[in-house]
Amino acid sequence: MIADPLLTHAAADYLFREAELLDGRRWEDWDALFAEDGMYWVPLRHDQQDPLNHASLFYEDAILRDVRRRRLEEKHAWSQQPVTRTARIVGNVRIVAQDGEGLRVRSAFQISEWRQGRDQRQLAGHYTHDLVGTAPGEWRIALKRVDLINCDGIQDCYEVFL
Amino acid sequence: MADDMLAALVRPDKVHKRVYTDPAIFDLEMERIFGQAWIYVGHASQVPKPGDYWTTLIGREPVVMVRDRDGAIRVLYNRCPHKGAKLVADGCGHAGPLFRCPYHAWTFALDGRLRGVPFRQGYADTGFSLDDPQFSMRPVARIAERRGFVFCSLAEDGPGLEEYLGGALASIDNFADRAPEGEVEVAGGVMRVMQHSNWKIFFENLNDTGHPQATHESSFAAARRTVREKLGGKTPFQLHIIEGNGEPNSFWESLELRCYDHGHSYMDAIFNAPTDAISLEYRGQLEAAYGVERAQAILSMNRHNTIIYPSCSPHTGFQQLRVIRPISIDRTLVEIFTFRLKGTSDAFFQRTISYTNIVNSPSSTVMVDDVEVYRRCQEGMASDGGDWISQHRMAGHDTPFEGGLLGAGISEVPMRNQFRAWASYMGEAVA
Repeated sequence: MIADPLLTHAAADYLFREAELLDGRRWEDWDALFAEDGMYWVPLRHDQQDPLNHASLFYEDAILRDVRRRRLEEKHAWSQQPVTRTARIVGNVRIVAQDGEGLRVRSAFQISEWRQGRDQRQLAGHYTHDLVGTAPGEWRIALKRVDLINCDGIQDCYEVFL
Repeated sequence: MADDMLAALVRPDKVHKRVYTDPAIFDLEMERIFGQAWIYVGHASQVPKPGDYWTTLIGREPVVMVRDRDGAIRVLYNRCPHKGAKLVADGCGHAGPLFRCPYHAWTFALDGRLRGVPFRQGYADTGFSLDDPQFSMRPVARIAERRGFVFCSLAEDGPGLEEYLGGALASIDNFADRAPEGEVEVAGGVMRVMQHSNWKIFFENLNDTGHPQATHESSFAAARRTVREKLGGKTPFQLHIIEGNGEPNSFWESLELRCYDHGHSYMDAIFNAPTDAISLEYRGQLEAAYGVERAQAILSMNRHNTIIYPSCSPHTGFQQLRVIRPISIDRTLVEIFTFRLKGTSDAFFQRTISYTNIVNSPSSTVMVDDVEVYRRCQEGMASDGGDWISQHRMAGHDTPFEGGLLGAGISEVPMRNQFRAWASYMGEAVA
């Protein structure tokens, strides 16, 4: 499928803005991108289909995202002293499905993650965004799926949204 | 290091920092503790069919747990007796009817016995024999299974598994008893988290009632604000399990800490049994299977983390098992397994998964602060700012009973109990 280039451009712009919000630790603005029942999901397995009967690295609704973003700003969040810094590059943005109610966007990412006194960590994988809304200005995230290339590996802790 | 020097590192109310920072002591631990104690290897449900295998570590020894053709579970060193290559790749898989080395194609029966070698004529008159055990995969010295939980000991002699576990045995039985069918199975994936700290620090934390209010302030405070500002004061299950760490002093003081010989212990549950529709349906299933009285007895054994020293920690109420693998003096791998209680609903299992995701995932908003303080301990211990690690909280107030020690809720008795076992493995018992 070759999507409308303007629509692809708008989708890429949407993802770039989302990346900017995350790298800027603007959690509340980022969370506002989600639909009311939108989910943020980082599977534990490659090709994982089921987030309910199988563990995940993250599977967070609005309530759990709210706790995470508040915790990151808590004075006594010991593992955020100092805070996690990230810079990410999002590319290979493609609209892979589209209907009257929304679209599915696939992309690849590289995230460099760093905390003072800790090793810098490189994360990589693919994003799949299910966006609902009929026009770019109305898009909301119904599902953000983050497939890490090392999802089933040995992990250091994750703190911020990927 | 001389044994009397080792014993001097452990005092009744403190331990020397070297036990956490000295690589030579780590080497001795691998030999004297992990080479002797019963170590959790895996669960029978991970190898349902003949040829299925699961690999793990006993101390530094890579082993493979495999289902033999006769249905028995074998645990073998994952090592080809020819060139030493690990015979199977790490993880789980299926060997087929035989293990076959990827290097020179030696083949072994599922009980480890050598079956064939290519170029047989080259072995004539060399002293080589198919029947000589030195050319077979070596089995571990002892293997024992309880309710599907498989433990091994690399030592020929020592107490049997049941005697070794003492009062911790009831946690394993209760884990399986909680299933209406009396059996559990590993399900829903395994998580692996690397801690940048010594393995003993993690064990000490598991029954440390003094830490939740301080360490976990960020997550329970955030959860409370979400409840107040977004949920009208109503706490859903998923936040209940985060908020529990914020209970006041009086709550922790009211708990009981029961310790057993060989380093085991448990603390009372910190979450009350939920009374929602899923939990009530589950209780009904348990009553139908066991009768009301027995079901009540099973559910009333409500333990938070049980410590099975030095290899694992079951949480029976939410069907979790954390397996602890020391990698080096300052690296510890923790593997988190989730279990399904056979005879329960998908909805029940989905709540178990929710607990795994929230409390035991590498992204847990609770666990990140634990892992951070463990690392700070490891870094601080290396300094010359002091030599001893305090375990004074309620020291001298432990109440002995047959086979163990009882402590009040805020006592550091589980740590003292672990080091009582540690010293006994490593050298002389602490006076």
